[in-house]
Amino acid sequence: MNGWILTVTAVLGAGVGATLWGVATGPLRRRVVAQNLSTALACPALLLLAQGYERPAYVDLALVLALLGPVGTLVFARLLAGELAGDPPRAGALTWSAAALGAGVVLVLCVVEGPSRALVKLLVVGALLVGGNLLASRALSGGMTGARRG
Amino acid sequence: MAEAVIVVALLLVAVSATAAVAVRDPVRQSLVLAVLGVVLAVLFTVLQAPDVGLSQLAVGSALTPLLLLLTVRKVRRRGRRDEEGGP
Repeated sequence: MNGWILTVTAVLGAGVGATLWGVATGPLRRRVVAQNLSTALACPALLLLAQGYERPAYVDLALVLALLGPVGTLVFARLLAGELAGDPPRAGALTWSAAALGAGVVLVLCVVEGPSRALVKLLVVGALLVGGNLLASRALSGGMTGARRG
Repeated sequence: MAEAVIVVALLLVAVSATAAVAVRDPVRQSLVLAVLGVVLAVLFTVLQAPDVGLSQLAVGSALTPLLLLLTVRKVRRRGRRDEEGGP
């Protein structure tokens, strides 16, 4: 058991466990935010797993999750727009801290990796992860519909 | 000690699957199902089956919630139309 796997255990236990609690209880606005955060936390966990098991192929999983996680949240934001309009979710601090965790994990992995093709892949995953989650969070809080109407 | 991460992933899957059953409203259920899909993919990765995890991610994180929500929306619309047009 190395430090990477230990970090994964902490992120999964504390972070994803907390989002699980958030998604199973409370009002709808809290649940959609928790669902968005669960993908934002699972993606760095998958990146750390790839490093911990020393299998670079596992980075593909994080890449797919970084692509599809925000897509899933956008599905919720679009199809639940009517129910969320009266009570829009606001979780700026949580979203930014999850994005900071993702960015920090990607930075540490980049430093460990050194300049190579895997570094470019890691940077792409990091950009997709942070950008996609900020976009999905903004769509959830109604920023997109306001822009469309205006 | 190396099994700690497997235990944590298994616990997360058990709790989220139980929550998916315990939550009664289909819309809220689809949110829990999306989280369950992601957690299952992590479990498959921890158990060294990344190919299974890849397909689980593709299906579980976006496709299943989309199908559920579209079905709920269609059923609700049909129910409303029957109420309006019914005797």
